[in-house]
Amino acid sequence: MLADDDVLLREGLASLLESSGFDVVGQAGDGVELLAIVRSTRPDVAIVDIRMPPSHATEGLEAARVIRQELPDTAIVVLSAHVEVDEAMDLLAGGERLGYLLKTRVTDVAEFIGTIERIVAGAAVVDPALVRELVSARRRRDPLDVLSPREHEVLGLMAEGASNSGIAGRIFVSEGTVEKHVRSILGKLDLPESETDHRRVLAVLKYLEAR
Amino acid sequence: MRQRVNELIHRVGASLMLRSAGQARLAWVVAITGPLLVAAALAPFRPSIGLAGFLFGTLLFVVAAAVMGGLRPALVGAAIAIPPGVYYFAPPYDNLAIEREGDLFVFIGFIAVAAVLGILVDQLVGLARQQTALRRVATLVAHAATADELFAAVTEEVARQLPVGFARMGRYESDDSITFVAAWGSPEDGFPVGSNLILDGDSVRGQVFRTGRPARIDNYDQISGPLGQMARELGMRSSVGVPIIVDDRVWGVMAVSSTTMPKYPADTEERLAAFMDLLSTAIANAESRAELAASRSRIVAAADETRRRIERDLHDGTQQRLVSLAIEMRLAESRVPSELPEARAMLFRAARDLTDAVADLQEISRGIHPAILSKGGLTPAIKTLARRSAVAVELDLQVEHRLPQQVEVAAYYVVSEALTNVAKYAHASLVNIDVHASESAIELTIRDDGIGGADPTRGSGLVGLKDRVEALGGTITVAGGSGQGTSVVARIPIDRKSGIDAEHRQASVR
Repeated sequence: MLADDDVLLREGLASLLESSGFDVVGQAGDGVELLAIVRSTRPDVAIVDIRMPPSHATEGLEAARVIRQELPDTAIVVLSAHVEVDEAMDLLAGGERLGYLLKTRVTDVAEFIGTIERIVAGAAVVDPALVRELVSARRRRDPLDVLSPREHEVLGLMAEGASNSGIAGRIFVSEGTVEKHVRSILGKLDLPESETDHRRVLAVLKYLEAR
Repeated sequence: MRQRVNELIHRVGASLMLRSAGQARLAWVVAITGPLLVAAALAPFRPSIGLAGFLFGTLLFVVAAAVMGGLRPALVGAAIAIPPGVYYFAPPYDNLAIEREGDLFVFIGFIAVAAVLGILVDQLVGLARQQTALRRVATLVAHAATADELFAAVTEEVARQLPVGFARMGRYESDDSITFVAAWGSPEDGFPVGSNLILDGDSVRGQVFRTGRPARIDNYDQISGPLGQMARELGMRSSVGVPIIVDDRVWGVMAVSSTTMPKYPADTEERLAAFMDLLSTAIANAESRAELAASRSRIVAAADETRRRIERDLHDGTQQRLVSLAIEMRLAESRVPSELPEARAMLFRAARDLTDAVADLQEISRGIHPAILSKGGLTPAIKTLARRSAVAVELDLQVEHRLPQQVEVAAYYVVSEALTNVAKYAHASLVNIDVHASESAIELTIRDDGIGGADPTRGSGLVGLKDRVEALGGTITVAGGSGQGTSVVARIPIDRKSGIDAEHRQASVR
């Protein structure tokens, strides 16, 4: 399911997804249309532009909230031209199977498809650009200074929504090593251990934003 | 020379100040008791002093009475000096007869001198008082007090110049009504400040409005219309009104009224007019200032609107188009047969470069107008600036609600420009940003611990900021000597009633 008011972009994205083995069950140009189609087709995932008619503000977030309430099993990916931490946290508070990505991500097809698959499988994903901005923000007594460079890297991947096995694959270490790093990070930053990945993302984002 | 005279007049006026009711009573006491005291004091020496000496001595009190109470107590004082003069000082002593014919002429001469002195002193004091009052008004005008302060002060000065119970300044409106903008004297509930009445009938204010010339009423019995009706109810007996002419139009009227005096002196209009010239200049100045501020504000608003539109066009148009183009290239890339690896690689690179170009475009459009500001307001926008700052930032943000768009944009650019300058010039390790919004204003302080010595007049960034902030009626200062760090402090008023603050201010002096 795709929703974007730009027809060209929507069509392009649709054929890209179809050529990658997805079945695009519907396309919508605004939030109302999106909700109607989602209710009738009950797709696995809805990919939604944040800015749609009528007011071109955060209609995508509103629609995501409604879908989440009515059809909690539908995964939702919100695309935005600029990613903002408040919007990310707002969206991710809705639970798992959620993604908040820069629109330009779709052009890196392989990674985009991989991300969608991860989200459908249960992950919560935040765009790496936003995480980079949060992690690199400079602070006077920066609490992140206590982390080792490797832990820094792991923290960033945690914020993006990678699972332990996902992190292991990205930095070429065993899952056991990642688990050790994660526990160390949570301990040093005084963050609670979370039972699910999406809670972990939210906690890390909140921490990074507030630090 | 002329300046010295003016100064002297001013000083005399200032020292005499104004005639209060107490002073007028004192004048009568001096006029009545003064000559009698002189008589009692000088009686023992009458052979050597003589009649002329005695009368000369009483002149001192006559002048004092003239200073304090004007011509009438002075003349009464002179008259009171005559019986003791005849009785004690004109031979034959101790009776009311006059022996020498010359003494009669001495008395006549004395009365004449007393009258002339009384008139001169009275006029001099009056002139001095007017000069002092005019000077006070001129000072107010020069210091650009607010319109309301100025109106109130001028009305009070006018009232103190004239024997009035009541002075009101009014502004004529485009719908043939009058709004009272300043009031002095009792009854306080007559034509209160802010009230608006239709200019119907032959009231003084209506006449001034129609003719653009001074007008007076000495009898309210036949005066029609709501203003006349109200004047009758307040017990007015006489009134004088003079126009306030600004840029060749009748802007308003200053009118004085009395409940006790049957008729105002003939020179009342002239004396009022002297003040109105100053007032006209002040109003004209205030209007052009307000117009200037409004036009600055409009220019800034128009520029902001253009930037916002460009950002929207870039975002919803160009950027989207480029992203969909990149997607198409990816699709094309995936359909290139594997026998053509070079074509595939070219398409891959082209799509990648295009994606980089989109990222660049995003940076540019963020610089043109930050979308986060229109979407989320100042708090997330400033947090984003802080995150992207090259120097560590400590934030204290207290902005509860969304603010008028122009205020948000100005505040955002103050922080943005200050952070840019810190990164470029300050060699700082920390920036403190305090933003506090109250009901009436937002205050921003951006302070760094760098080398200081910023020159606020250099660089277009700060000048542009100053223009932007001042266009909203705000202030911005850059301070910090060498080695003390730099602080930028800005205060922008929040006018929730209207988007453009200056237009509101213009309305208040129109």
